[in-house]
Amino acid sequence: MASTGLSSSTPPDVAPAKGAAVVVGIASHDDEATIGTVARHVSEGLYPHRSAGCIVIADGGSTDRTLQRAYEAVAGACAVVTAPYERSAFEPLRSPYHGLPGRAAAIRAVLRTARDRDAKACAFVDARVTSLAPEWLPRLIEPVFDHGYDYVSPYYVRHPHEGAITKSIIYPMFRALYGLRIRQPAAGEFGCSTRLIPHLLDQGFWDGEEAETGIDLWLASAAAAGGFRVCEAVLGCRTHASRAETPDLSTTFAQVVGALFADLEARAETWQRVRGSMAVPAFGLPPAGGMSPPPVDAESMLDAFRLGFRALRDVWAWIVLPRVILELKRLAEAPAEQFRLDDDLWAQIVYDFALAYRARSMPREHLLGALTPLYLGWLAAFVMGTSGWNQKDIDDRVEQLCVAFETKKPYLISGWRWPERFRA
Amino acid sequence: MTWHSLADEPLWYKDAVIYELPIKSFFDSNGDGIGDLPGLIEKLDYVHSLGVTCLWLLPFFPSPLRDDGYDIADYRAVHPSYGSVDDFQKLVNAAHERGLRVLIELVLNHTSDQHAWFQRAQRAPATSPDRDFYVWSDSDQKYPDARIAFVDTESSNWAWDPLAQAYYWHRFFHHQPDLNYDNPAVIQEMLGVMDFWLEMGVDGFRLDAVPYLVEREGTTCENLPETHAVLKAIRRHIDRRWPNRLLLAEANQPPEEVRAYFGEADECHMAYHFPVMPRLFLALHLEERDPIVEAIANTPAIPDTCQWALFLRNHDELTLEMVSDYERDYMYLAFGALPQARLNVGIRRRLAPLMNNSRRRIELLMSVLLSFPGTPIIYYGDEIGMGDDLQLGDRNGIRTPMHWTGDRNAGFSRAEPSQLYSPVITDPVFGCQAVNVEAEEREPASLLHWMRNMIRLRRLFKVFGRGGIEFLNPANRKILAYVRRHQADVVLCVANLSRSVQPVELDLTAFAGWVPVEMLGYTEFPPITRAPYFLAVGPYGFYWFELQHPA
Repeated sequence: MASTGLSSSTPPDVAPAKGAAVVVGIASHDDEATIGTVARHVSEGLYPHRSAGCIVIADGGSTDRTLQRAYEAVAGACAVVTAPYERSAFEPLRSPYHGLPGRAAAIRAVLRTARDRDAKACAFVDARVTSLAPEWLPRLIEPVFDHGYDYVSPYYVRHPHEGAITKSIIYPMFRALYGLRIRQPAAGEFGCSTRLIPHLLDQGFWDGEEAETGIDLWLASAAAAGGFRVCEAVLGCRTHASRAETPDLSTTFAQVVGALFADLEARAETWQRVRGSMAVPAFGLPPAGGMSPPPVDAESMLDAFRLGFRALRDVWAWIVLPRVILELKRLAEAPAEQFRLDDDLWAQIVYDFALAYRARSMPREHLLGALTPLYLGWLAAFVMGTSGWNQKDIDDRVEQLCVAFETKKPYLISGWRWPERFRA
Repeated sequence: MTWHSLADEPLWYKDAVIYELPIKSFFDSNGDGIGDLPGLIEKLDYVHSLGVTCLWLLPFFPSPLRDDGYDIADYRAVHPSYGSVDDFQKLVNAAHERGLRVLIELVLNHTSDQHAWFQRAQRAPATSPDRDFYVWSDSDQKYPDARIAFVDTESSNWAWDPLAQAYYWHRFFHHQPDLNYDNPAVIQEMLGVMDFWLEMGVDGFRLDAVPYLVEREGTTCENLPETHAVLKAIRRHIDRRWPNRLLLAEANQPPEEVRAYFGEADECHMAYHFPVMPRLFLALHLEERDPIVEAIANTPAIPDTCQWALFLRNHDELTLEMVSDYERDYMYLAFGALPQARLNVGIRRRLAPLMNNSRRRIELLMSVLLSFPGTPIIYYGDEIGMGDDLQLGDRNGIRTPMHWTGDRNAGFSRAEPSQLYSPVITDPVFGCQAVNVEAEEREPASLLHWMRNMIRLRRLFKVFGRGGIEFLNPANRKILAYVRRHQADVVLCVANLSRSVQPVELDLTAFAGWVPVEMLGYTEFPPITRAPYFLAVGPYGFYWFELQHPA
C-alpha cells in the first residue's frame, strides 16, 4: 500500500510487505486532536503482537496533521502504513451523518490491506474514540487468535437508558433474524479473522448509497448470515468526539433502523430459515462503577407519541393492521401511569414497518419518520417501567422483549411471503 | 438501498426465473407502432418487479421478418425498428444494474436469404469458399429421411436457386437457407458473432434449432455426432473466454435425445424439456397425475452443472410432437377445439385461453412450473393472463402487444391503431380493457400480484432450482405429490389436478417427527408421524410445505 498524504516531517511507512499477523485499522479524517492517543493506545494494546502487527491509518485525505500525529504517537513501536480512501461526495439531499465520511470505504481499505498482508486477524477502530484503552485491542483480537472466532462484536457498557434504539429494535430483531444474541450488532469497532475478510469484501453492500450509515450493522449480519463464529468483546464505555453536529433523533433513527430493514431485503433467503437463537460468548468484564444516567424525559416522549397518533394515524393505518391502530388509540388516550406498550404489539409494529419498507408502501424516509413517534412511545413506557431497576433486571426485561420478537417471527415471514395488502 | 450486483456465480442459471419477450411486443417508445429497445428499458422496472432474474429476448436483428426475426440478415446489428446497437448496450447495462441477466437468440442453423453471406454464395462459383457457406446440391433428392418441420407451408427441404443454378438446403422455411457447418469458416464467423454480443455483456444465448446443424446421407439429419462436435467447439470457446455465460439448447426432441446436448457438461448448460409441457396440460384435463409422472420418470439424468428449462407457453405453438398419437388426438379435442387454433403439430394459444381463463387452473399450472426441477420460463403477458387472437396468421396471435393499460393500443404505443405491428386483443374476456398491468397493479388479489409472490417465494429456496425430485404415490391419482430436496432443504409439494376437493393420504414415514410448514402463509401443520399423513386439497389447489426437521 502506497503512503500518501504525509507531510515531509512524517516518517515513511514502516511495514513488512507480507505476513503481518495482526492488522489494526484506524479510520481518520482531520482527527489530529484525537488520533495520537488512539494510535498510541492501539500500539500499546498490540504489545504481544507488535513484531508482526501493523497499524493501517485509513485516511480520507486529512488536511491537518492527522497522519503526522499518528506516526509520532506510535514512534516506531510497530509498523504503520497509510491506506487512503475516497470520502463520499457531498449529497445535498442526503440526511446528515455525524460519523466518518466514507466510513464504508475506510473499512474496505483496511480489510483489503489485511487481506493483502495475509493478516491472521484484523481489528478496526475510529480515530475519534476518546475512551479507547489499550486493553480493547486484545479483547478484539484474542478471540480470533486464541479461540478461533471469526467476528468479534464489541459490547459497550451503557446506562440502561442509553442505546435505546438498539435495545428496542436492532438487538431483538437482529437476534430473531439471524439467531445470534449479539447485543450491539451496529457497534463501531470490530475484530475479524482472515477467513471472514474475503467474505466481507465479497458482499454487495460496499458501494450502496446507505453504506456509510449501514456498514457496521451489515458487517455483523454478513458474519452471522454466513455461518461464521461470532463472539462479543466487552470494551467498557464508548465516548467519541463528534465530527459534525449530532443529527436529530429522527435522522439517526431512520439511518440505523433503515440499515436493518434494508438488510432484511438482501438476506431474505437466509433469515427465513433461522429458528430460535443462541447466546454468543462474551470476552472481558465490564468496568466497575456506576454510570451517570442520561437526561430522559418520559413525559415529553409520551407527548410526542400522542402527537404522532393525532398527526400520523392515517399514515400508520397504511402500514399496520386495524386492531393495532385501535390499540394505539387506547394507548394515546391512556394516562402516563397506565401507559404500557405490550412487547408482542411492539414486535408486530416493527415487523409491519419492515414489511412496508420492503413493499415501498410509501417513500422510505417518510416511513421511517412515521415509526419515530411509536419508538418514543415504546421508550417512554420502557423508562417509566424500569425506573430504578438494576442492570440485571434491565437485561431480563430486554430478554423478554427479544423473546417476543422471536415468537412473532413467523408473522414477519408470512407477511413477507404473502403481504397483507395482497390478501385475496 | 439496492444490492443488485450480479453475483459471480457459475450456476446462476439454476436459480434463475426467465422472462421471455419479443421486443416488438413490449413497449413502443417512439410511437411508430413497434416495440423497441428504449421502450423495454422504460419497462425494466416492471420486469424487475416481477422478481424474474433473466430476460430472454427474441431475435432483434435486421431481418425481412418473414419468420418473426428468426430469418436473420445481419448478426451484428439491431433491426432499425427496435433501435440501435447503442440502445442494446444501454439495455444490457440497465438490466445488469437491476440484477437482471440478458439472454439473446443465436440462430445458428440458418440465415435469411437476404443475408449478405447467402447473396454472396448465390453469385459465387460452385466450388468457391463463399458458396461453401451454405448447403448446395444439384439434386433435390439428397437427405430424403429428413422430416419437414413446417408441413403446412413447405413441401421439401430443398429449394431451387435460379442465380446459383443449384438447390439449397433449408430445414425450415424456404427463405431460411441452412448454414454449412462442415465449413470451419462458418463456425469461426459464428464465434465472432458470439464474441460481439458477449463483449457487450450478454449473459448467454438461446441456441435456436440446434439438432439440425449438420446433414449426412442416410440419416434424419438430426442430432448427428458432427452437430455435437460443433456445439462442443462453441462451448470450449465460451469456457475459455467468457466464464459464467450460458448456452441454452432448443432441441425439440425426446429427452433421451436432448440429453446428448448437455454432453458431459461440455456442450450446452441448459436445454428445454419439451415433453413435460404438453403432459402438464394433459394431466390437468384428464385430472390424473400419470402423464406428468411418466414424463419425469422418462427423463434421463443430466450432469450436475446442467439444467432443464421448463415452460408452460412460449412464442411458438404448444407443440405436440413429443407426445403419442393418442395423446395428441386427445389434446386437440381438449384444447384445440377451434380448427384455427391448430398449427403445424400443435396448438397456437396462450396459457389463459387454454385454461378457459380459470384463475385456479392457471395458478395450479404455474405452481407446478415453479416447483418442478428446472429453470422456469414465463412468457410475457402470461403473468397478467393475457389472451390471444386466432384471427391472426401463423403464431402472430400469441405475439400481440403487451397490455399495459385499458387505454388506446393497450398503452403499448401512441401510434394510430392502424399503424401497430399487430392489433391489440379487444375481445370482452381477454381484451386490454379487461386484462392489463395497470388494473392488476391496483387490484391486490390479481394474478399479477400472485405471480410476483410465487416467483419471490421460489427464489428464497434454492431447492427448487437445484434439488432432486421424488414422487409420492398416493392412492388418489388426482393428487400430484412430490418431495424436492437440496442439502438441508426439504420441500413437499401437493397439487390437486381435479375440479373438486380431494382427500389424500401421503406416506411420509421417512419424515416422521418433522413438521410441515405451509410456505406461503408460514403456517405450521401437525407433525408427521408414522401414520399416513392426511390432507384435503381444494379444487385445483396446491400446497408447498417446508419440512422442518425437529431442532
